[in-house]
Amino acid sequence: MRKLILPLFFLTITFLGLSCHPRPRVYIKKLKNNHYQLIVDSKPYIVKGVCYNPIPIGKNYDYDWWSDPAKPWLADGKLMQGMGVNTIRVYQAGSDPQAVRKVVRDLYNLYRIRTIMGSWLGFWEYPCPLYGDRAFREKVKKEVLEMVNLYKDEPGVLFWTLGNENNYSCSGEVNPWSSDEIDKEPDPQKKRVMRFRTYYSFVNELAREIHQADPHHPVALGNGELKGLEFARESAPDVDLIACIIYRGKTFGNLFKSLRFSFDRPVMLAEFGADAFNAYLKKEDQNMQAFFLESQWRQIYGNLAGNPQGAGNCLGGTSFEWLDEWWKHNESSADGWSAHDTESNWQNSSYYFDSKEGTKNMNEEWFGIVSLSPETENGLHKRVPRKAYYVIREFWKNPVLKSKIKK
Amino acid sequence: MNLKFLILICNFTFCTLNFAFTCFAQDNDQLVSLSKRIIEADSSAGLYAPFEELKEFYFRDNRYNDFVNFLKSLGAKKKALAPFTQYYIALSRYTQLRYLEEKQGWDEYFAQGNAYRGELTAQAIAAVELTTSADALNLYARLLLWQLHHDQQDNFADESLLALMRAAEEYAKVNPDAAPIKAVADKLSSCAARENSSRLYKLYSEKLVSSGIKGELLNAIAADFFREGNLELAENLYDGYLARIAGDKDKAIPVLIDLARSFSYYIDEGPKDPFYAEKLFKKIEALGGKQVFDQELIYLRAFNLEKSKEYKQARELYGELARAYPDSAHYPEAIFKSGLISVYILGDIKEARAYFARLAGSEKEITPQAVAALYQLGLFSQWENDRAQARKYFNLLLEKAKEGYPETIALTRQRLQEIEGGVPLEYNLRVFLDLALAPGGAPAKEHKIDISASPFRAVKGARLEIGSNVYSAQTGCMQVELEYLWSGDLGSATPSPGQSSFYTSYNENGTKVIGLVVVSPAGFLDRNIGIIDIR
Repeated sequence: MRKLILPLFFLTITFLGLSCHPRPRVYIKKLKNNHYQLIVDSKPYIVKGVCYNPIPIGKNYDYDWWSDPAKPWLADGKLMQGMGVNTIRVYQAGSDPQAVRKVVRDLYNLYRIRTIMGSWLGFWEYPCPLYGDRAFREKVKKEVLEMVNLYKDEPGVLFWTLGNENNYSCSGEVNPWSSDEIDKEPDPQKKRVMRFRTYYSFVNELAREIHQADPHHPVALGNGELKGLEFARESAPDVDLIACIIYRGKTFGNLFKSLRFSFDRPVMLAEFGADAFNAYLKKEDQNMQAFFLESQWRQIYGNLAGNPQGAGNCLGGTSFEWLDEWWKHNESSADGWSAHDTESNWQNSSYYFDSKEGTKNMNEEWFGIVSLSPETENGLHKRVPRKAYYVIREFWKNPVLKSKIKK
Repeated sequence: MNLKFLILICNFTFCTLNFAFTCFAQDNDQLVSLSKRIIEADSSAGLYAPFEELKEFYFRDNRYNDFVNFLKSLGAKKKALAPFTQYYIALSRYTQLRYLEEKQGWDEYFAQGNAYRGELTAQAIAAVELTTSADALNLYARLLLWQLHHDQQDNFADESLLALMRAAEEYAKVNPDAAPIKAVADKLSSCAARENSSRLYKLYSEKLVSSGIKGELLNAIAADFFREGNLELAENLYDGYLARIAGDKDKAIPVLIDLARSFSYYIDEGPKDPFYAEKLFKKIEALGGKQVFDQELIYLRAFNLEKSKEYKQARELYGELARAYPDSAHYPEAIFKSGLISVYILGDIKEARAYFARLAGSEKEITPQAVAALYQLGLFSQWENDRAQARKYFNLLLEKAKEGYPETIALTRQRLQEIEGGVPLEYNLRVFLDLALAPGGAPAKEHKIDISASPFRAVKGARLEIGSNVYSAQTGCMQVELEYLWSGDLGSATPSPGQSSFYTSYNENGTKVIGLVVVSPAGFLDRNIGIIDIR
């Protein structure tokens, strides 16, 4: 009996230790083959998601849809569930915590749809996002931690995403910002590197504090393409995954493999997709959109954990976007918010069906998998699923993966 | 009336049916004959031609499903045909998917796409596994797999390319027929896998050159590839041919000169590789020394270097031409371009002034370049705020040019008006000169913008397209609005700041210089010049 006391003692200690540190609700598991898997409530989870920003016709980005009395998330959640969507990504929580909680809870309780909560990290602040400025950083940090503390206990929250394409500002071409130290550096290349390091160090600071406040949800770094991630590797080791914003047409090219080399973290495609307006033919083209989306989802599945031919570092994606947004073409003119503009906003030749050299072909107001009708029903604009809705639904039901030559 | 109409309809229907039946019968005959050839073939070598004909037969009407069904029935009749039927099923599915995408046959694409892709992969893999590296079919099946993965840009693309290259090299060792290597290289080249296509073209050329083929035939084959626009292959074969005749200097030098001219920018039309042309010029120099280069050949080489934007070397050669042949018809152009390169590329205004002064002070007949040199000298002075000197140059220009150079005269009058009115230089031009001439301006070695002209040499009145390429930072869907500040000899056009390209024409001969500054919200991105020759 005395011989058993010591092993029993260790067993008890181990058991107590385990029960004191339960597995987080959501975490990333690195498999033996170095593949990554998102685990939610102890089960592998593939993010089959959409970016969600249900702005009604006639309103713009200022509209607080979280508090919309018509509750658009209920109609959308039901449609999403029918398609197989299990996640939405929001860019920034609304200002009313009660309203935000209601949306997250409704979507989770009614449709089992989880929410990726995001923060712009002050990217659109006037005059520019001053990531080198202490006061600015403190202000943004306060907002982010407030969001985390408010919603971390919601069962519907999947993880946190910090920033979107904020890294592009480090090149100085969009939302350019600087600091006294950066201004002193004459070499433009070194200035660029300094901006990347400043920005990613700030993200890391946030990630570390979020982990302390909430050990149950991973923290993602929102990043445009893989731009600057070589600096994030040094400056932001505490981020758990990359939420990549990427528009490369039919596929994501060498993204998954490249990421292994630049910053070995799992990736969730946080924004990708295609618009449904053919700028060349000047008319809606649902097939074109469905074609690109199906091809993109095929590649996402090819790179999930467990597929020996893929990089195994993909956790899924949230395609851009669930609904059309009619305010985007001319955001400063209220008249334009009620018109479904057909003028293209940017150029991307990877979307080759309507790409013509030197002309824009991407129509910001036509990215929805579901279009909005001017007709209303129960206070909401009618939702009309586009072909991509059905094609992706079928793909998710039966994703086909490839086989390989025997060695 | 009705009866006549009925008879007419019957006649028409009969003719149509008869025609359809005849076609069907002919098609059927062709199918039967091809099937017979395939079934009776006693070696795999005899199968390539009938299978290709069979493919053409079905592909010409895009009957991919019919082809797959036919191949399956053929495979069931004779199991030994398997690698061929498997490969052609895979090829058919691949072509079908591309056809559906191109023709936007979306219903079938979405409904059957995954099934076709699955069949393609399975059949191509089976064909690879049933063949050896000595079989062309093995190579073709691997090529198909690579094409699929390349199109999908998936992670298997690199691996399948590696396997394909290895197989091609193995094949080259054991099989004397080089044609499949070229077929694979052509496909790789068309898919922008240049590094690998180069390796295979080299392999193909080596096999051809070492096959004992006669020199003249080799030269003729190379010329054929040149005409087709397959420059890489043409160059490899010319290299093989040139190596054979290198010992005979008298024969080799004229051949080299001819080839250098063909590949250079000197010839307006046809395919070009200015870098290969320069390689040939170096060979000429190595074989015959500098003395082989007469004024025309020096000019040709300098012009080729200038258009391929090897400005420093171009200026050296223009200088050499001017020193050795001061009476050459190319002298004014050589001096003027040396000045342009000095100031706008190398940032040396002092040297540029010396070049331009040589032209401006010439007592000989006035040339377009002498007029342009006076304009440039006046411009430098105006930019430096030396109005008196600028006025002097511009007035001298007007005096010398008389009415012969309407465009340069118009620009000069514009400048004089600015001087007389005490107003600054036109904005675009001032910004360009500030960046190009001021100490601490945009560094000339790190050009982020490039100007192209098509054609780069034109006759008076002809339409030219002037374009620009900007190499700026990635910004995703946040499009950066760029401004294009065009200045200089813009001819008949007045491009707005929103235009990255424009069409123009010129009404006078000479060397035209266009300046461009690109501005992003963060400031000036860079500047560059374009040099155009009007004859």
